[in-house]
Amino acid sequence: MPLPDPFQAIADPGRREILFLLSKEKLSMNALAENFEISRPAVSKHVKILYEAGLIMITEVGRERYCELNPDGFKEIRAWMAYYEEFWNAKMVNFGKVLNKRMKQ
Amino acid sequence: MQRDLSFKWYFPHTPAAVWACLTEQEAIAEWLMKNDFRPVVGHKFNFHTKPIPKMDFDGIIYCEVLEVEALKRLVYSWKGGPAPGVITLDTILTWTLIPKENGTEVRLEHSGFKGFKNYLSSLFMGAGWNGRIRKRLETLLNENANATT
Repeated sequence: MPLPDPFQAIADPGRREILFLLSKEKLSMNALAENFEISRPAVSKHVKILYEAGLIMITEVGRERYCELNPDGFKEIRAWMAYYEEFWNAKMVNFGKVLNKRMKQ
Repeated sequence: MQRDLSFKWYFPHTPAAVWACLTEQEAIAEWLMKNDFRPVVGHKFNFHTKPIPKMDFDGIIYCEVLEVEALKRLVYSWKGGPAPGVITLDTILTWTLIPKENGTEVRLEHSGFKGFKNYLSSLFMGAGWNGRIRKRLETLLNENANATT
């Protein structure tokens, strides 16, 4: 199964609210769940999706699980940079060819 | 977390020839993408290419010409995202031409690749969150960004 796409993970308002709360501070699952009217399992499910999308980190301390934003979790930025690194090098090979062709005319 | 890409290439042609290739619509279409570019500050234009679903990109790049200094420097914005009006890639291209012996050096800075928090912020804005929450979030994100950089 492919990893959930971060964009889709954020498409849900409940999950955005979770990220919003976590942007303020690291929170335990219990503390997080207290902010919502939905059931704890429902909150857990949202947390799982955010975790799988790489947007948050979960650490276990004793019996409690803590959630926090994953600052390096935004894979798209790295993906975009890698993409454009290759993109511009390839495009500038084209650029050189177009330039040569135009100069011969 | 913001990062830039920098490139340098050399072409055995005059800055005038390189500049023409960089700024003429037909030439750009040939080496880069279909476009409606004009070298006029404030001109808004698009590039059209194939969508890349796995990168959340719908194939349209939204641009605006920010600076034009003939034969020397060209700056335009380069934005895109998964759907019209949703910008997740918000970057700037700066092209600089440097005359060299028997040719021209072309430098490209592709800047503005922002980290997760900025992306999050742009999503909250795109999702139509109200001004109060958005402001609160922006403040928090800025604090976090200052704390981590």
